[in-house]
Amino acid sequence: MKRITRRGFLKTGIAGAGMMAIPSTMASAALSIQDQNIVYRTLGRTGLKVPVVSFGVMRSDNPGLCKAAYEKGIKLFDTANGYQGGNNEIMLGNLFKGMKRDSFFLATKVKPERDREGKPNDQTSPEKFLEMFNTSLSRLQMDYVDILYVHDISHTDLLEYKPLINAAKGLKKSGKAKFLGFSTHRNEPAVINAAAELDTWDVILTQYNYRLANAADYTSAIRKAADAGIGIVAMKTLAGGGFLDRERTKPMNTTAAIKWVLSNPGVSTTIPGMTSFDQLELNAKILADISFTEQEKQDLLAANAEPGLLCSGCGQCLKECPHNLPVPDLMRAYMYAYGYSMPSMAKSLVAEIGIRGNPCLSCDECKIKCYRNFQIKEKIADISRLADIPNEFLA
Amino acid sequence: MKNKIPAGIALCLISLFAGAQDITFPELGGFKKITKYPVYTPENLWDFINGAADTYLALGFVDLHVAEYKKGKEVIKAEIYRHSDHTMAFGIYSSERSPSYRFLKIGAQGYIIDGVINFFKGDYYVKIRTYTKKPKILQSEESLAMRIASMLEGEEVMPSLLAEFPTGGKKENEETYINESVLGHQFLNKAFKTVYTLGTDEFSIYFLKYNTPQETTRSAETYLASAKIEAPQSEDGKIVFTDGYNGTVFLSWKGDRMVIITGLAKDQADIADKYSSEMLE
Repeated sequence: MKRITRRGFLKTGIAGAGMMAIPSTMASAALSIQDQNIVYRTLGRTGLKVPVVSFGVMRSDNPGLCKAAYEKGIKLFDTANGYQGGNNEIMLGNLFKGMKRDSFFLATKVKPERDREGKPNDQTSPEKFLEMFNTSLSRLQMDYVDILYVHDISHTDLLEYKPLINAAKGLKKSGKAKFLGFSTHRNEPAVINAAAELDTWDVILTQYNYRLANAADYTSAIRKAADAGIGIVAMKTLAGGGFLDRERTKPMNTTAAIKWVLSNPGVSTTIPGMTSFDQLELNAKILADISFTEQEKQDLLAANAEPGLLCSGCGQCLKECPHNLPVPDLMRAYMYAYGYSMPSMAKSLVAEIGIRGNPCLSCDECKIKCYRNFQIKEKIADISRLADIPNEFLA
Repeated sequence: MKNKIPAGIALCLISLFAGAQDITFPELGGFKKITKYPVYTPENLWDFINGAADTYLALGFVDLHVAEYKKGKEVIKAEIYRHSDHTMAFGIYSSERSPSYRFLKIGAQGYIIDGVINFFKGDYYVKIRTYTKKPKILQSEESLAMRIASMLEGEEVMPSLLAEFPTGGKKENEETYINESVLGHQFLNKAFKTVYTLGTDEFSIYFLKYNTPQETTRSAETYLASAKIEAPQSEDGKIVFTDGYNGTVFLSWKGDRMVIITGLAKDQADIADKYSSEMLE
């Protein structure tokens, strides 16, 4: 057994392979070997050749991880004005300032104000938008970004809101933003379809994952936009993280999930979030191999069969329920009761909704086809009973 | 079976959660309060704050209540994020702050910058913003922040473990809490981090507190094994090595504590030793 001195640090030899910082000449050689095997796709009309895996930086606060990703061949780094209060952009600015500007692509997002439905209102200010963008550029210590996204467009009114669009176009004309895009988080098919009809947008960043396999409207919207020359970047590719349950006891095959997304040729690249070198290593393998194995296909089928506890709030059910029940709210009440053990909160919500008794009794069969395989009828039957439990039995 | 379920819910859930505080936004004189936003949960937080949600989710986000206060065309927006505990609330608060901001004594700590007032108290992280530059509206905003702070329950102090860090050279208001993947390693979690300057040197100290000395030792062994270094099989130790993209790492542990220092060169072991000894003893 080694004796450890209490005074001073025991120095070790060089650590092993894998994550070691290696001399720069060796690093270059390793990079060029990797580079030859990387699968690239063209990001629509931008002409940018991007590796199929990019980096959604939003959670990472470790420049070492970002640097490792860069050296593994990842080229597109995605951040936003609002991530980590601006510290995310600052970190990337400090990281990239010593690097050749054309050796990476930087995408950032600026979020204009809008009303609750996603429509522009009197707070939607192009001046504020430009001010925020200039703040982003300053944090990034760059003269330009490769992609500027208008952050979170979920209504077609905002998509075509001229004061904002003209401000963004002005940035492109000035060279501060090479290409314009938008990210979309709700009503994606409608927004993407509308964008495909316009000349404004070069890139769209959208949710796309294996849980949407049966959502034909997503797939066709992506195809339409891609056919129109818009580059498609996919986010939320893991459908909510690397686990199938909130307690994180059921890990999922994240490689399979990302490969599923890339099996759609309309998708140019994906931006999985990464916070560890292990995740980076796993995702970096996909850079050079996007082919599905049988095991990966089976893993995805199994993952898709897991309904999970949490409603995504997509709202598709609202069109399908013949009784116009506020299904997402009822699913939230279910989550409060069973996910958070907050029965009083669940009961309050049920009361607020105005549910008395089981509202699903008159339906022999539920008309809702939840893409997350939620058994809606059973969950509503369960949660509606809370209304009959005296408050003194609930916290 | 059907009749047993309600009783089952009641029996299983009686008083497990003794009072998640109901959030009722205070009134603000002269402003119309609008609370028609839904309560956001982990599953739909993305709808409200998009990709930024990932950081909140990783820091024990529970739910979010939102309100707007309108006076003519002026709007003040208030967001109250509930997290699973005080450390998590500090974690999200500290991830978004900058030492250059003007700090306020509100809640446990808060700051104000360009129409934004953020603070944390108890398990809550509160974000209030307005785009106006009108002084009276900004005053109202501060007043609102104080009212929300007094309304919320919970600790008005910084997490106690922050007091473990030595003060010499510590950069103020740069402490953070990292819940997962410290230094990019999945086996290192739940660390407080602080930044120091000594002359021209800048370095970071990560402090991890485990439940038992055995857990600490296991964690140290795992870290060393990941760097293909033989662990010393000791309940305490100090080792300096190179950890890939994290550079030179000074790793020390004793009892239920682990200290990791990055940013110093290998020949600065005396500095690392001084700081780690103070934290381990």
